[in-house]
Order: sequence, then structure tokens, then C-alpha cells
Amino acid sequence: MIKFITANKWFNNTHVLKNINLEISKGEVIVICGPSGAGKSTLLRTINKLELIDDGEIIVDGMYLSDPKTDLTALRAEIGMVFQHFNLYPHKTAIKNITLAPRKVRGLNRKKATERALKLLEKVGLVHKRDAFPVQLSGGEQQRVAIARSLAMEPKIMLFDEPTSALDPELINEVLDVMVSLAKEGMTMIVVTHEIGFAQKVADRVVFMDAGEILEVGTPPDIFVNPQHPRTKSFMSSVFHIPIFDEKQEEEQESSS
Amino acid sequence: MDLLEQFANINFYLLGPYPKGEIGGLCLNIILALLAIGSSFIFGALLGYSRLSCRLYIKYPCIAFIEIVRSTPLIMLIFWFYFFLPYFFGGSVTIFWSAVVSLSIYAAAYQAEIVRAGIMAVPRGQLEAALSTGMSRYKAMRFVVLPQGFKMMLPSFVSFFVSLFKDTSVTYIIGVIELTQTGIIISQRQPDKMYAAYFSMAIGFWLVCYSFSHLARKLEKRIGVFDLESYRPEACRDEFMLLPRRGKIGEEADQSARCIPAGPELKG
Repeated sequence: MIKFITANKWFNNTHVLKNINLEISKGEVIVICGPSGAGKSTLLRTINKLELIDDGEIIVDGMYLSDPKTDLTALRAEIGMVFQHFNLYPHKTAIKNITLAPRKVRGLNRKKATERALKLLEKVGLVHKRDAFPVQLSGGEQQRVAIARSLAMEPKIMLFDEPTSALDPELINEVLDVMVSLAKEGMTMIVVTHEIGFAQKVADRVVFMDAGEILEVGTPPDIFVNPQHPRTKSFMSSVFHIPIFDEKQEEEQESSS
Repeated sequence: MDLLEQFANINFYLLGPYPKGEIGGLCLNIILALLAIGSSFIFGALLGYSRLSCRLYIKYPCIAFIEIVRSTPLIMLIFWFYFFLPYFFGGSVTIFWSAVVSLSIYAAAYQAEIVRAGIMAVPRGQLEAALSTGMSRYKAMRFVVLPQGFKMMLPSFVSFFVSLFKDTSVTYIIGVIELTQTGIIISQRQPDKMYAAYFSMAIGFWLVCYSFSHLARKLEKRIGVFDLESYRPEACRDEFMLLPRRGKIGEEADQSARCIPAGPELKG
């Protein structure tokens, strides 16, 4: 469904994506993790061409992104995206946030669009907030409306760019629950997140990135429990707050005691 | 006293030589300003939007136009159009229309910058969110970015319109009989009461400008551009200066409420 072929990207002189080769099939849930500045978000944003790649090729659902003839709006209509800071339209109510794109892009009439939006609001559990403005919603509610907004276009692929990292800890689960149910419905999802629990639960594969490179790809246990690459090992140990297992240190401790 | 006597000339101040000649005075200022605002609103919005265009052959001419007009004094523009419009269109262009054209072009360049600032003040994420749902750039601007940007542009528009209204007085230099010109004519008729004439002019300008900004403030309040409540003096005293809400400063109850409760001592 999505295929990266030696994709490269530079920001001025910084090489932010280095020879990315990745193939994602339909219905797969991919979690991308790695330290900040590793290029995870950039990688995600190249898929719907919010960022351009300088070299290589990306094929999304049979469309070649480097081809100037590719219809960008048609491409983006098939790809939903959820942002770290929600980016809801502050001048519109929750329901209007959701109905705007279907009406203006797909040409649905108000009644049909509203029906579809209400179904989606029910799915994310926010029907009672249909007429609330984004400022009247909590962070978790805003993010759930944002997910409903992307789903309203009935996309084939969903991209999540750190959807929970701007939320209070107690609001994270309500968003993750929605994402889990979405994954179970067979949606193709690419998620940049630090929520290891979420990744272990639903991810088919985990991609570990650092400094613009994909260092390791594997199932969640492969990456989280038995990482092969030394950089992955040190990252995972710091994420799980477990000191790196060091035989010498242990011997010293034994001898001293 | 002299000022009250000027009431005898009120018709001339307001309408100029109207019943006998063309309309003039304060009315002409308002007409000039409205025409300039109207045409520059459309023209300026187009310019400001095109300045942000990705197409360089649209972008650069717009930048050139805006920067040239903005770095030229209004009075020069007025002279320029006064002398050059007849040159291009024959002698048929009246001073009124050359004044309207020069004011409109002047205003359009400034409005373009206000529009650009308004668009750029909308967080980039809004445009990205709209684009990612499959909207074209035009639709994203039309339904998402501009409605938000317009709110932010409104205060700048108002202050610019007020200053544009005052700037219409410069057109007296090419012989438009607007309020300044009527005042000058009257003051020359009565050289001993010059100050009264100039004072009346000032009152005329002030009345229109003040009532316009007053209306605009009401409009801003209705659209809800800013949270005016938090800028009330009382709010400043309470939230911004962090003084206790009740009781005198330094009262014991307030003091203890403000202290951070001491936690249990840490034991090694």
C-alpha cells in the first residue's frame, strides 16, 4: 500500500531521511519510535506530501508521489492525518469541524455529512459535545474529534503524529482506546508514538529510527524486548528505566559485598 | 465666540459649494475614503494573497508593487496620478477621480500587508490540517485560514481606515474641495479668525474618526476578536499584579493561604 524506495531528504545541510526503504501492506499497523529529532514525523509527513523528499520515490496506493501529475488532493483525501496539537478549526463547532471536508471535497450535502459525522462522534463517544467549540473541549476530547474529522473522509490510511504527547496522562487512554478500536477494524495505520503499551497491544511491526535512518524493523517483542542494534538497546533501556545490563559492574558489586 | 460664528459656514464645511457647484467639504472626505476603502479592500486582499503565492511570476510583481507604493509618500502618489492620468487617458480625468485612484492604490498596498500578516498569523497547523483532509490550497484558505485571519486583521483594518480617512485631506493639494480646502477658503476670507476655521476642521475630522472607531470597537466586541474582559483595570489588579483578592495586603489569613504548605521532612 505504501512503499518507500531509497527516499532521501535534506533540510539545508542536515540529512533528515537517509535511504528509507520500507513497505507497508494493507491493514498493517506500524508504530514508529525513536529519539526526538530522528525524523519520525518527517517520515510520516512525506506520505501525504506535507514534506517533499529530495531523492527516491514513495508509492502510496499506486500513486507515485514524485510524479507532478499525481492529484495531490485526491491523494490526501485517501490519507487521514492526526496531529500532535490537534489543529482543530477553532472557529467551527465539533460537528462542523468534521463535516467541512466531506462537504467541500467530497461534495456531500449538509444532511448526509451531518449523519456521517454523528456516527463518527458516537464512535469516539462525543455525541453530546457536537455543538461545542474546540476551546470548550479537553485535550483528549479535542484529539478524538480530530480523529473523527480525519475518518469522515473515509480514508484508506491513517497517519498519527504523536497523537498523545500533548495530552495529560489521564486523558491519554481515551484517545488510545479509539486508536485500538480503529486498528481492530483493519485500518492501515502508521503511528509515531512513545506509548510502548499501545505498540505492544496493536502494532504488527515496530520501526525504530535514529538520526534519519531506520535501524531496526520487527515485531513489538523483537524491538522492545530483544533489540539487536546497540542504539535500540540503549534507547529501550532508557525508556523502560532499566539500567543497561553490564556484567563488569555486577562483578564489582559482588566482589565489594 | 469666533468658533460659534463658524456655524454660519456649516453648510460650506459639510457640503462645499454643493447646491451651486460640485459636492465638497466633509461629505467629499467621506466619499473619497469610502471609495478608496471599497476598491482597496478587494484589490488589497488580492495583492496580499498573491504575495504569498507559490508562483514566483505572481509573487514578485506583487512584492515590487507593494514595496514601491509603501515607500512613496502619499502626496507624491497624488501628484503622480494627477499629472499622469490625463497624460494616458486624455484630458477627461477629473481631479476627483485622480484623487480616488491615488488613494485606492496607496490603500491597497497597505491593506495587502495587513492581509498578509493576518494570513501568516494563523498557525501553520491549520493549513496543514485542512490540506491533509484533501482540500485544495484555495479551499483551505477560503474555509479555514481566511475566516480566522480576518478576525486578527480587523483591528488593523480599522486603524488603517481611520488614518486613510484623515489622509484624504492631503488631496486638497490638487484642488479637491474637501474639508481642509473649505477651511482654507473660509480662513482666507476672514484672516483675523483663522484659528476658528482650522479649529472647525479639526472638530469635523475628529467627529467622524471617533464615531468610526467607536463603531468598530463595538463590532470587534461582537465578533470577539480579543478577550476584552481580561484587560479591565480590575482584572489587571487581581490577576496580573498578584495581590490578594480580599482583605488588606499583609493580613495573616491571606499570607498563610499564599504560602506553599510545608511537606513532610525528607529523611535520608
